[in-house]
Amino acid sequence: MAYSDKVVDHFNNPRNMGSFKKDEEGIGTGMVGAPECGDVMKLQIKVQNDTIVDAKFKTFGCGSAIASSSLATEWLKGKTIEEAQQIKNTDIVQELNLPPVKIHCSVLAEDAIKAALADYQKKAGDKTEAAT
Amino acid sequence: MAHHTHISGSRDIQMARSMCWHCQSEMSGEYFCERCVKVQPVSKETDYFTCLGLPRRLTIDQSKLEAKFYELSRAFHPDFYQNKSEAEQTISLGNAATLNTAYRTLRDPIQRAEYLLDLEAGSVKEIRTSPPSDLFEEILELQETMEAYRASDRASQAGRELRAQLIAEQEALERRKHDMEQQLQRLFTDWDTLQDRGDAGAPARAERDRLLKQMRDILSNRTYVKNIVNDLVATIG
Repeated sequence: MAYSDKVVDHFNNPRNMGSFKKDEEGIGTGMVGAPECGDVMKLQIKVQNDTIVDAKFKTFGCGSAIASSSLATEWLKGKTIEEAQQIKNTDIVQELNLPPVKIHCSVLAEDAIKAALADYQKKAGDKTEAAT
Repeated sequence: MAHHTHISGSRDIQMARSMCWHCQSEMSGEYFCERCVKVQPVSKETDYFTCLGLPRRLTIDQSKLEAKFYELSRAFHPDFYQNKSEAEQTISLGNAATLNTAYRTLRDPIQRAEYLLDLEAGSVKEIRTSPPSDLFEEILELQETMEAYRASDRASQAGRELRAQLIAEQEALERRKHDMEQQLQRLFTDWDTLQDRGDAGAPARAERDRLLKQMRDILSNRTYVKNIVNDLVATIG
């Protein structure tokens, strides 16, 4: 099975690869894995005034997992927290033309987004709690 | 599956398990009708343990497994069905394929455990476990070191240092994998002991769930470690 052009493109030119310091202001970190293939995905968002101003990822896995997370970071940038919650794995499947056997890679990316958002919200919540 | 094509609908399959597909007499033999001696399809609902005549345990008698596998391999071998009807050829071929998969799965202790967990707790692979994030951190860091090594001049001081670091990491991970396997082995024994007791009380059920979860967690962490070790081996050669 050949990878789609878009997967190959994201794989060869991954967008937003890298990481932020975890404890930096406004950073949310999501780390997820897929036991079936041993893939590990780390996705981070940088939030200012409820908007995601930057996103970075590091993925150790197959081409589809890398492409899924690369695409996810592209989509995340400029979105509000609420808009980001709406990103579904099926959107990623469609955009990248993933074959059925690679759908779990897109699920992983969605999980990573959710985990990063939850981590950011938890940190933000802890802060407001500490302030009051 | 191909050998089921002559039967339609789930009710028929239900019947096919207790009745010979050929002479319709009640089945008492294992894989062959005792009356007309025709080969019978292995039901899709038959688990691999039953298929190979073993109790559903995590520690199995390898020699028994092998003996049964060879016995059935002969029984279903396509060579012996060349002069038989098409239906019998299809059934024996399907059985041989199922048998091979069953044998390969049960032969390997890890695959056997994953399979048993599938049977006992639904698909292990589908249940999302969250491996400890320190393991993820470690894997990602190691990936970076590997990348740096691949990009480095192998003969340089830096290249040699990176290589030494990777070798040390590999050894540490292999030890960790070994520890996980020993831990699994203990859990396997605990599981089998619990099964042998046949206790259906609430504490036994809680113990059962605890063991399943622990095995599942270690099995999935082991996969991560195994993959990264493979990558390390490929990188440092």
